[in-house]
Amino acid sequence: MATTLTLKELSKKEDRFTHGHRMCSGCGAPIVVKIALMATDYPVVISNATGCLEVSSCISEFTAWNVPWIHTAFENAAATLSGVETMYRSLKKQGKMDREVKFIAFGGDGGTYDIGFQSLSGAMERGHDMIYICYDNGAYMNTGIQRSSATPLGADTTTCPAGSVIPGKLRSRKNLTKIMAAHNIPYVAQASPSHWQDFAKKVQKAHEIKGPKFINVIAPCNRGWRSKTNDAILLSRLAVNTCYWPLYEIENGTTKITVTPKQKLPIVDFLKPQGRFKHLFSPENEGLLTQVQDEIDREWEKLLKEAKTD
Amino acid sequence: MPKKKMLLMKGNEALAEAAVHAGCRFYAGYPITPQNEIPEYLSRRMPEVEGIFIQAESELAAVNMVYGAAAAGARAMTSSSSPGISLKQEAISFLAGAELPAVIVNIQRGGPGLGNITASQADYFQAVKGGGHGDYHCMVFSPFNLQEMWDLTMRAFDKADQYRTPVMILGDGVVGQMMEPFHPTPYKRPRLPRKSWVLNGAKGRGPRVVRSLCMGTGELEQRNLILQKKYELMKKQEVMCEEYDTKDAALIVVAFGIAARIGLSAVKELRKEGRKIGLFRPITLFPFPAKQIAALSGKGRRFMVIEMNAGQMVEDVRLAVNGKADVQFYGRPGGVVFTPEELYGKLKSAYGRRG
Repeated sequence: MATTLTLKELSKKEDRFTHGHRMCSGCGAPIVVKIALMATDYPVVISNATGCLEVSSCISEFTAWNVPWIHTAFENAAATLSGVETMYRSLKKQGKMDREVKFIAFGGDGGTYDIGFQSLSGAMERGHDMIYICYDNGAYMNTGIQRSSATPLGADTTTCPAGSVIPGKLRSRKNLTKIMAAHNIPYVAQASPSHWQDFAKKVQKAHEIKGPKFINVIAPCNRGWRSKTNDAILLSRLAVNTCYWPLYEIENGTTKITVTPKQKLPIVDFLKPQGRFKHLFSPENEGLLTQVQDEIDREWEKLLKEAKTD
Repeated sequence: MPKKKMLLMKGNEALAEAAVHAGCRFYAGYPITPQNEIPEYLSRRMPEVEGIFIQAESELAAVNMVYGAAAAGARAMTSSSSPGISLKQEAISFLAGAELPAVIVNIQRGGPGLGNITASQADYFQAVKGGGHGDYHCMVFSPFNLQEMWDLTMRAFDKADQYRTPVMILGDGVVGQMMEPFHPTPYKRPRLPRKSWVLNGAKGRGPRVVRSLCMGTGELEQRNLILQKKYELMKKQEVMCEEYDTKDAALIVVAFGIAARIGLSAVKELRKEGRKIGLFRPITLFPFPAKQIAALSGKGRRFMVIEMNAGQMVEDVRLAVNGKADVQFYGRPGGVVFTPEELYGKLKSAYGRRG
């Protein structure tokens, strides 16, 4: 049931995530959802963790979801979907259902890296047949830009405010994609809305693999990143080209880089357009800027090595 | 008379600053609307006073950090809003069981479930009846303006230490979000028992144990009896309430928190028009001012309880009145905030009705 991934074909398809939702203009998250749902013709059931995406897409009496959709608390998208998926398997076994249905959970980084991590890890280990897609905008944007464990080193948020004493977040982000790979599940990938074909292909591939799958997608948030509203795609592309957000997949333990930047750009290209990193460009924070670049270089080298040996 | 120094802040920030004034140097929190100003404010403020701010990965983690800090002797606080407070209940039960002092702030929003983010009072039962498992209570304060957000927060830390108990400040989205001037009363530390139980290293002294696990025969019953004794003592010593024009009132409105604030506007208006109406406001919800309400009942008086929920405190008012007066109820559940005009109409017709 793979859809042909050309713009011409895709434009003919009915939207599964429709207009009329109330995400901010220029938000990356709905683009992520649209691409993910566009990539397949399978009937899908969505579970959605609490967050911007959930609150803005289901304002009382309205829904932007053209597919079955269930929402529970912040920490439970994977657990709730585990229940739904298990019931589906049971109905299938009992002969009460024969349609092939796919299951997708959406959560932001707060609901995935932090409070929802336990239920995500549990669902992956139990082996539920689902794709968990995290739209990672690097902070709790829905509640007012508080830091999360996905917030990058040096970023200014409302709970790690950059000032004269502390230059924003002092810790590096947690590498959730690698942590999910360590669950030894059949498919883990990183994607970006700037490379929509690459992302859509990953979703298609994931749907054809039985078992738990995890895809981490960068989703620029102009409110939290303090960037221009029309820069979501530009910034996600810069994230890829600076190797801040490498596009790769790990299929049955084998790492493959799916998009290699033609020229690896310096991280400042990604940081500069974002107000949350403004303070990093003052002379006293030069060291921190170097640290950010070093970390990215190190992680990228590691990934290259892994892709080579695999 | 010298003019009093006044501060203009948001309610959540006033609460956070009052905690700092009261010597709170450990705060752990997690984002949830409408209480985010508390962690945001303290993330900036705590480093200035060499205090600790931690943003946890969940409400469970935040309240358990407070459990750890309290065991180490710190004045510790966590805050959240309704769904997050539900997640904290296990640890609050542990705090009560292990007799650890801590301050827990609930800036209530509409429920059940994810509900909404507007002000509500629907967590009354959860706050005053226990909330988590086991026979326990938190002492519960209900601020109805920013002056009380300030004063009661400081008091909460003292009472937590005095009784070795978790204390809850039950605010709501309105008192948390609104701004109004208040006087930043300086903190005066009362005489408090020494924390002779603190786990701060057994060098030069015998080991200490702080726990809520009591497996020995009869041990848990004994612990429970100690807790119950504590609650009885609170009922004798800690009840706080306020009465407005209740002396000659034929109808007494009973309300807590922001409902009382709005109710008071309506009551004042009706008084001006010559109606004998008053308002009774519990400030501590546990211990509940049952005696004070009982003393007001009889003499043909009627009561009207107003709450921003489907009827919770009204049960305690009825228990206090014990059949000696008619108790009516008016409530708006689901995060709906009363308007003074709406209450004026409701109270006027309740007053007019001959019971």
